[in-house]
Amino acid sequence: MHIHTYEKLWLGLSLLLITGFVATITYGALGAGVEMVDDSGETVDPGALGEHPDFADPGVERVGPNEYDVYVVAHRFYFEPGSSTQGFDPITVPANSTVNFYITSADVVHGFGVAGTNANTMVVPGEVSELTVEVGGPAEYGIVCNEYCGSGHHTMEGLMQVVPPGEYNGTDSQTARLGGDR
Amino acid sequence: MATEAGTPTFANKYPEEASIVRRAFLVAFIALGVGALAGVIQALHRTNILRIIPSADYYTVLTLHGVLLVIVFTIFFLVGVFQWAITRSLERSPPNITFTKAWLGLMSLGSVMTGAAIVSGVISEVDASADVLFTFYAPLQAHPLFYAGLVVFIVGTWLAGVDWFRTWLGWRREHPDERIPLQAFMVLTTMIMWYIATIGVAVSVLFFLLPWSLGFIDQVNPLLTRTLFWFFGHPVVYFWLLPAYLLWYTVMPKIAGGRLFSDPLARVVFVLFVLLSTPVGIHHQYMDPGIAQGFKFIAMTNTMFLLLPSLLTAFTVVASIEHGARQRGGTGLLGWLRALPWRDPAFTGMALAGLMFAAGGFSGMVNAGMNINYLVHNTLWVPGHFHLTVGTAVALTFMAGTYWLWPQLTNRRLYSRPIALAQVVLWFGGMALMSNAMHVSGLFGIPRRTAEPQYQGFDFATTFGGVSELNIQLALGGTLLFVSTLLFLSNLALSLAQPTRSGLGQQLPAALSGPEDSPRVLDNLALWSGIAVVLVVLAYALPLGSIIADSGLLGPGGTAYPAVLTPDSLAGLQAVVADPVVRALEVVA
Amino acid sequence: MNGGSETPVDTVDTTDGEIAPDAERSISAPVTQEGNQRSISYEEFDPKGTLALILAYLVVLGVMWVFMYFVEFLGNELVVVG
Repeated sequence: MHIHTYEKLWLGLSLLLITGFVATITYGALGAGVEMVDDSGETVDPGALGEHPDFADPGVERVGPNEYDVYVVAHRFYFEPGSSTQGFDPITVPANSTVNFYITSADVVHGFGVAGTNANTMVVPGEVSELTVEVGGPAEYGIVCNEYCGSGHHTMEGLMQVVPPGEYNGTDSQTARLGGDR
Repeated sequence: MATEAGTPTFANKYPEEASIVRRAFLVAFIALGVGALAGVIQALHRTNILRIIPSADYYTVLTLHGVLLVIVFTIFFLVGVFQWAITRSLERSPPNITFTKAWLGLMSLGSVMTGAAIVSGVISEVDASADVLFTFYAPLQAHPLFYAGLVVFIVGTWLAGVDWFRTWLGWRREHPDERIPLQAFMVLTTMIMWYIATIGVAVSVLFFLLPWSLGFIDQVNPLLTRTLFWFFGHPVVYFWLLPAYLLWYTVMPKIAGGRLFSDPLARVVFVLFVLLSTPVGIHHQYMDPGIAQGFKFIAMTNTMFLLLPSLLTAFTVVASIEHGARQRGGTGLLGWLRALPWRDPAFTGMALAGLMFAAGGFSGMVNAGMNINYLVHNTLWVPGHFHLTVGTAVALTFMAGTYWLWPQLTNRRLYSRPIALAQVVLWFGGMALMSNAMHVSGLFGIPRRTAEPQYQGFDFATTFGGVSELNIQLALGGTLLFVSTLLFLSNLALSLAQPTRSGLGQQLPAALSGPEDSPRVLDNLALWSGIAVVLVVLAYALPLGSIIADSGLLGPGGTAYPAVLTPDSLAGLQAVVADPVVRALEVVA
Repeated sequence: MNGGSETPVDTVDTTDGEIAPDAERSISAPVTQEGNQRSISYEEFDPKGTLALILAYLVVLGVMWVFMYFVEFLGNELVVVG
């Protein structure tokens, strides 16, 4: 097959570009340690979250010296916790800590996006989205539902507050949960 | 200039087929007009500049915008252009023109059914709706008519493919050793890709969503139906793109004054699309729980290789128009660009569409990048991307191609060439403004698919420019696009009133490097189909198996929102439809 | 030479006075548009301009990718590490 020299050159450069993209992304995964949301979360019954040990009473709890688990349930049209404009607690964590999110839905597919950051995931009924982030200095972030979930989708918002460690007054795992630690 | 006795037009040679193409284009352009109206309503609404509908109805409008533009407009245009291309290149009519009219009729029926279901969402007297957007993710539920219409529409497209394969097989019996003419090759390979792609959405709708909306099953597995949708949802973008590529490869060189640089490379590109379009769908699900990282990584590498046929297309198409420019007398390393026929709206439209595609390709590369998807997923960046690709590379090429094709389908001149030229430039400018604003907004975290991205508890933190400036830019761009659409539609409408005349025929030149320069195996459609199926099985068997094993074929799936048909309304449906039919049959019998 | 007098196209060698398909005026072009001045074969044609343009595009892609990935993405807050 007759392929012009310039075409062969372009083919080679294109393959190099493609390889470069794959290499960058692999670096992001292995070098920078970016993990994808995956299937490590359990499957749950969205109609029975009220009986689930973690999602029956979602919130923030301390699970290590500087590590916090945050359980969030997404509903039409609020985050529990998160939607402070609708009477729920904002998600409050201390600065410079490790935060593990566990997010599920009680009804339809939602999105959970911390605006202006890389914390972003789909929230699917029946599945649990697990995300671990390293939180920096004190800040306030908006949380957006970024997947259409019905007529009130645009009212679905939340707040995440990163407070100086001295101001954090949450409970730790021994006293927060019935049924002991995990 | 072609003389009175010059090339006969397509309408002269194939009047019945020209009628089919015109009808397909008519439906496409009606959908374009209504879809564009929805678009400008959205652009003004979400930027809070003008709100003429309640925000709850925004989602009905958005569903209409998506379905009309990327299902009805694009695919009706595809069947029109493909019917033209296969008839012309094989010099052969369909085996049975009634069959051709039948599939076009089915597509039209399906569109009306789905469209009616969507529009009911804003008609309060009718207790039906389909506010589910183009992606219809369960447990959001539409009226059964929505799903049934999609089924009828897709079956229509399947039959179109059957029609064209039968036409080709008839041609092959009479030309046993010839290479498949390039346009026919493109039509057939695109349809092979479509058959494979629609398996996912057909299974999802026929086995899960439609019976669920009728109340025959209680719940569906949202992750499973999502995954089946995206099995289809990525290759459908190539169903939009490949007709545009057909015009870029086979028509654009001619209107540039040149010849296609390489027929063999064009064939290779289309074969690559057959193989790689479908086993990549999981790149739309990078943020999904329930799918392992390994599957996402495989989808990512497949997607990155899927860049290759588009990058190769860039070379071949630009080389072909450079050839035209130099034949027209252009010289210099880049000076030849000035020799191109920029006053031809068909040429300029396609050239601007290609230029915009280069930018859209880049934002697509970012979307494909697995972990970088955290930055842009479900933000306004994503619509920014696809308005450059389907919204311009495809839509603007379709409009530009229409300026060239319409006279050959009608034997009438276009009403106004200068207005057509202004139209394509306006589209490019409007889209540049709107899409740029969308990309930047997305980087600040502003979400897509939202009627009011203005939140009570916080403001978006912007680093350059503010949200107000971005909103104005978006609204202005969207308005210019709407004006451009009106210019396109009115120019065509006025063209219908032009007198018929002769001399409007056009020939397409042979490629500089023809099919005889390429290996025969490229024409082995069965081989490429087989490999494509294997690749799809490899990409999807394990992820689908894992989803079903983890959470079951049907759930636990949450409750349907809204539950459109309840046992009560099903009884009501029976009273209204089934009982009268039964009584009528009893009378007749 | 590009530009010039606005005469109808008929400068390509053809048989029977017919115009070659690539020299035939596009039906969507203005009537007085200038057309082909010569015919160039595959062997004579070196798409140098194309090479220049797509190499420039490649450079732009590379720069934009590095910026998007390392500055916008990895430089953003709350990177997901688990």
